[in-house]
Amino acid sequence: MSAVSPTLASGSAQEALFEEDRLGKAYDVRLMARLWPFVSPYWPQMLLTLSLLVPLLLLDLLPAWLVKTGLDEIIVPAATGLPPAAAEPGLLGSLPGFVREAAEGLAQGFRALLHPPAGLDPLAWIGVLYFGVSVLGALFQFLDMWIMARTGQAAMRDLRGRVFRHVQRLHIGFFDTMPVGRLVTRATNDVENVAEMFSAGIVALVRDVLKMLGIAAFLFVFQPRIALLAFLIVPFMAVAAMVFRWKARNAYRAVRVRIARINAYVQENVSGMRVVQLFRREARNFQDFDQMNASHRDAWLQSVRYDAALFSSVELASNLTIAVVIWQSMGLAAAGTIYVFFDLMRRFFMPLRDLSAKYSVMQSSMASCERIFELMDEEPEVQDRPGAVAPHRGPQPGSVEFRNVWFRYAKGGDEADWVLRDVSFRVEPGERVAFVGATGAGKTTLIKLLTRLYDTTRGEITIDGVELRDWPQEALRRRISLVLQDVFLFTGSIHENIGLERPGIDAEAVERIARVVQAHGFVAGLPRGYAEPLRERGQNFSLGQRQLLSFARALAHGGDILILDEATSSIDAETESQVQQGIHALMTGHTALVVAHRLSTIRDVDRIYVLDHGRIVEAGNHSTLLARDGTYRALYRLQYSQQGDPAAAAR
Amino acid sequence: MRRLAGYIAHHPVYYGVWLVVTLVYVAGFVALPRLVGWGIEALSAGLPESEVLRRVGWLAVVAILTAAVRFFTRTLVFNAARQIEYELRNDIFAHLQRLPQSFYFQWRTGDLMSRCVNDINAVRLLMGVGLLNVIQTPILYVAVVGAMATMNAELALYVLAPYPLFLVIARLAGRSIHHWSLRTQEGIAEASNHLQECISGISVVKAYAMEGLTGRRFDAVNESLYQRQLRLVRANAAMPTVTSLLPALAMCLVVQVGGADIMAGRMPVSDFFIFSMYVFQITFPTFIMGWVVALVQRGAASMQRIDELLSVEPSICDAANARSLPRLSGEIEFRGLDFDYPGEVGRAPVLRGIDLHVPAGSTLGVVGTVGSGKSTLASLVPRLFEVDDGQLFVDGIDINQLSLATLRGHIAMVPQEPFLFSASLADNIAFGRPDASREEVAAASRRAQLEADVRELPAGYETFVGERGVMLSGGQRQRTALARALLLDPSILILDDTLSAVDARTEARIQRELSSVYRGRTVIVVSSRVGVVREADQIAVLDGGRIVERGDHATLLAAQGLYARLAREQAPPAASQGPT
Repeated sequence: MSAVSPTLASGSAQEALFEEDRLGKAYDVRLMARLWPFVSPYWPQMLLTLSLLVPLLLLDLLPAWLVKTGLDEIIVPAATGLPPAAAEPGLLGSLPGFVREAAEGLAQGFRALLHPPAGLDPLAWIGVLYFGVSVLGALFQFLDMWIMARTGQAAMRDLRGRVFRHVQRLHIGFFDTMPVGRLVTRATNDVENVAEMFSAGIVALVRDVLKMLGIAAFLFVFQPRIALLAFLIVPFMAVAAMVFRWKARNAYRAVRVRIARINAYVQENVSGMRVVQLFRREARNFQDFDQMNASHRDAWLQSVRYDAALFSSVELASNLTIAVVIWQSMGLAAAGTIYVFFDLMRRFFMPLRDLSAKYSVMQSSMASCERIFELMDEEPEVQDRPGAVAPHRGPQPGSVEFRNVWFRYAKGGDEADWVLRDVSFRVEPGERVAFVGATGAGKTTLIKLLTRLYDTTRGEITIDGVELRDWPQEALRRRISLVLQDVFLFTGSIHENIGLERPGIDAEAVERIARVVQAHGFVAGLPRGYAEPLRERGQNFSLGQRQLLSFARALAHGGDILILDEATSSIDAETESQVQQGIHALMTGHTALVVAHRLSTIRDVDRIYVLDHGRIVEAGNHSTLLARDGTYRALYRLQYSQQGDPAAAAR
Repeated sequence: MRRLAGYIAHHPVYYGVWLVVTLVYVAGFVALPRLVGWGIEALSAGLPESEVLRRVGWLAVVAILTAAVRFFTRTLVFNAARQIEYELRNDIFAHLQRLPQSFYFQWRTGDLMSRCVNDINAVRLLMGVGLLNVIQTPILYVAVVGAMATMNAELALYVLAPYPLFLVIARLAGRSIHHWSLRTQEGIAEASNHLQECISGISVVKAYAMEGLTGRRFDAVNESLYQRQLRLVRANAAMPTVTSLLPALAMCLVVQVGGADIMAGRMPVSDFFIFSMYVFQITFPTFIMGWVVALVQRGAASMQRIDELLSVEPSICDAANARSLPRLSGEIEFRGLDFDYPGEVGRAPVLRGIDLHVPAGSTLGVVGTVGSGKSTLASLVPRLFEVDDGQLFVDGIDINQLSLATLRGHIAMVPQEPFLFSASLADNIAFGRPDASREEVAAASRRAQLEADVRELPAGYETFVGERGVMLSGGQRQRTALARALLLDPSILILDDTLSAVDARTEARIQRELSSVYRGRTVIVVSSRVGVVREADQIAVLDGGRIVERGDHATLLAAQGLYARLAREQAPPAASQGPT
């Protein structure tokens, strides 16, 4: 005896389909290009942040220069009694004329600024300037962060809205294979991740790199020899960063795949906790969960090591540079020059410290970005024909016709996959017809085709004599009031659930409708009546009550073609007969299609179609079908012998 | 926060070693500027190159040692944070498993998920980068202050003067960050709830052309989330901006006061470098502190949300002296049972004065109108909801006194809405007994009339059923749930309107099969259909939460009450008019 495969957590081949095994690139031009339309409306803000780069760089350089001036021109001469050291020529002399002139002009202006106002001690003035420059720098920094984050959040708000609308447009089959949790993640966490890119990822990285280049250029111009030796360490750092990048990439990817699995598992267990508890699976499921959780932790421990290694090496590099600067300054540089190197090299290395954090942010942004666009690329299978308009009043208003309809869910597929085979029938305006048959006979599929949740594989369906593909989906669905087997109600009040905020459906109308379907009785007994809130999925009402509410919703919808898909399965006979009265009253003058397991619910329809393995095998009204010794009669006897009606069983 | 301290206390070694390593790091941290000053002193004194090189060499050696220690100050605390994240997540999951169904009525899935995903993340950051800086930075400060004070107490005082301002800034900004990060988390939860609902109900959304309505509602949620995020962004950006001014102020004072000291000959130039190095050194920790305060606030807010969840007492758990029995005979007794769903104030009573005795091995049918309490009655027996003491007995023992393992271990229930897990069909059938053999699984599905369907599935028993079993039809899901229950060999079997989506022919076969299953077990059959319960030894008819009639099929029909009316209305359409 072989044991059944041991755990729910262990991945089977099919489960692999659901995994988010996305390789996280840190930067992907293709994805950035696709993100552009969401960012481009905010181009003035983008331009503004770019223009902030120059003042930000200048404000980074200025403080060091101020201290240098103080040291070399005021403090040291006063302490040693020697005249200020002559300015060192640096590379400035070898620069092309106009650059040199510009630089000298700047230096002139700077000197004028340094001249203290009358009565102020020159050193004090430098202190004031130093603080003023710092305040200005902080302000620009704030402005930069604020604009960037704001732009990111606004773009992400737009993206979130777009994802939501796109998901709603996808055709129904898509949702059969895509877990809800995953779709929710797309529009929430994934979008959040992309927003991070604006505040901490690529944008910050570009800014940091430009800043580092600016600082390096300045130091080379200022003191080429010291700069050259001080920057010797940079290539080593670059190699370290590359190695880190390569290692971290795999670690982060493992982390993400594992956390996705954990979250899916929690979501599923929360939804099905009743079953977990009933079947005492707690210990077993916890064991599975613990395993996933531990493997996620271990993946992180890997990445922590790379992160810490990079962090310490940056600090080390920064300190070694200082050692090099001291050594190289011997007999060459003034105190001020050493100071400038200390300050600027520190600013140079600072961004490298959280490179790993930024790298991780970018990687996860890109992975999220890719997942979002993959979802956006999903084309809705059922689409409105371009320029489709709702027919005013078709040639045969209220009529429904199936003409040689074939359908299978699988694309391609073989003969055995046909769910409907050559189905043809016609329902005249105002007629009531029913479809019966065994499970899997194709009844529900028929309804899905009629509401155009799927398109037919072959053949055509018309409503009002107009082909379904020529209808805009919304206009089509406004014509149809559908009551489904699975009742789904939304969070909100009873009133909102019935009226769906349609114009023209006020409190009075809602109550009138509720009376028709016999829902008013229990609603009136609620403390807040029609304002009583429904919890998630309407859990605070019994299944039967929910079905009554879904009836009311269908009536309020006001379509003139009524479809009931196993709608009364959870209603007791007494309530059902009341509801039937309401429905009958409504059905007069409307076309109605009813799918039923219980033959009792279809006693007086005009015509019954019996489906078997996707074909219509019998058609007629109740008595003619019963008189014939066919499938219907067999179904009928079976149901009533089992339901225990002596009269029926005797037949 | 007390709960978090408990997690930290679990790892004395991690944190102990970390503290020691941190102290070593701080020593190196303080020594480095002194070594720099030492080197510059050699420069300004015009010492020979060999001496300068020797001093610079020492600087390099200490820098390397400090960096090595630095590696461990980070890995130790981050690893501990990951370990605590792991423990916290395990604890939450285990806690969720202990919480009763009434809890899941009141908490929305999206909300629970956001606590399990976003809030745990925020707590992990708090325990990692947050804790690292909150502990290390004050030590650094104290060490740096000490080092500066031994050199030049007056200058040290000036340099440090600006830093207490940090506390004021942190307090002011922290409050607003805390507030807006909580609101943002709520906003995200709202958005995911909305999405979750719209996707779960997508067939209704489409059928009623509700896309416009749900889109507008989402826009409102989305916009409010955006507004909250903007406020949070602003609060977050303000913090480092203001903190970056503190080192600037300190440096400004070093130039002023230190410069004057040098000019007056009270201080060597090399000390100027030492002081400015110290200011540089504490710049990064101070700057990070601004960010860390935000992170700590956010982490604390998240921990509060997690704590809120973990503080929900499981109202259904084993009593202190709960009894465990090897086997239940299956006798069930309701004694004057009253029941209302917790938190549902003002609603009509759910169950009132239920008195019922179901002898071991007998069958109870429960029928009634919509909302009469049938399903609730059935779900009380396995203690899915809280029942007061002295109202419900199994084998003569109050169910609150029976261990859950005994009670649920001998009850199998097929819920009204079958929930399947995204695993293979076989795993789902063997859900209650993962060790069941293939033969046992096949036998259970045969009894539930599932076997023919299995043969048509692409991978048979290994077919992956998808989330909630979406790959199967409604009838297949119900029969899988039935097979899952039948595999358990329970003393008590509860069928809650189990076969509503199964066609009549299959249902007839299942009923036939079930009659053999019923033998030797206590069975409760809940149905809105009279036909399903007619064979039951005893039938209880519910209306408005009370038992209005009881007896067997024949007696109840003869009584001409609600049951008889239900039976009549359900009679076959042809019975009155059809041919005989």
